[in-house]
Amino acid sequence: MVSAELLNTIQKLERQDKLYLMQVLISELAQEESELIKEDRSYPVWSPYDAFEAADTMLEVLQQAKSQTDE
Amino acid sequence: MSNSETYRFINADSALGEAAFRPYLPISLNYQNSSVTVSGLLDTGATINVLPYSIGIQLGYTWETQTTALNLTGNLAQYEACAIVVDGKIGKFDPVKLVFAWTRNNEVPLILGQVNFFMEFNVCFYRSQLYFEVSPKTTN
Repeated sequence: MVSAELLNTIQKLERQDKLYLMQVLISELAQEESELIKEDRSYPVWSPYDAFEAADTMLEVLQQAKSQTDE
Repeated sequence: MSNSETYRFINADSALGEAAFRPYLPISLNYQNSSVTVSGLLDTGATINVLPYSIGIQLGYTWETQTTALNLTGNLAQYEACAIVVDGKIGKFDPVKLVFAWTRNNEVPLILGQVNFFMEFNVCFYRSQLYFEVSPKTTN
């Protein structure tokens, strides 16, 4: 949390110092963002995109199951 | 949406902060006398529903007796898969038949995709506010 004292100090800074502080914070935030994805880790994507053949087969199986339930 | 239920996004990895919130939906799966309550990942980009191997086993399915083999895509292409039909119940809604690609993989989350979860339910995402609404499809 940003304390009132810190905020008060920042507000009293010269314009040039405020701009410098802003640049430092932006740089820090950008660095944190890039560190979210680690180089030595893999991030598998399991989502089955474009599995249309499987989807077609599954719809047939579903239809058969519904027909058996209705009988 | 009328007749809808609201769920919160869940943070899947606290180390990643805001980026890690995902829409996991609590769902009860039933097959014969077995019932398992799990969290399914709502994945609008997934063509199909996917069931991890261990959950199929918990429901009482046996791999050797399955007859409908499937060829999956992406990371799942390297694992055998077959089609099974499970009764799924969400919140207060009536149970629906959900067809899953049951994969011999346990790393994959339970995925709720276009066939046939999104054919049965309407979902509205409010990602900026970290919640989503689910309601059953309406029949004309």
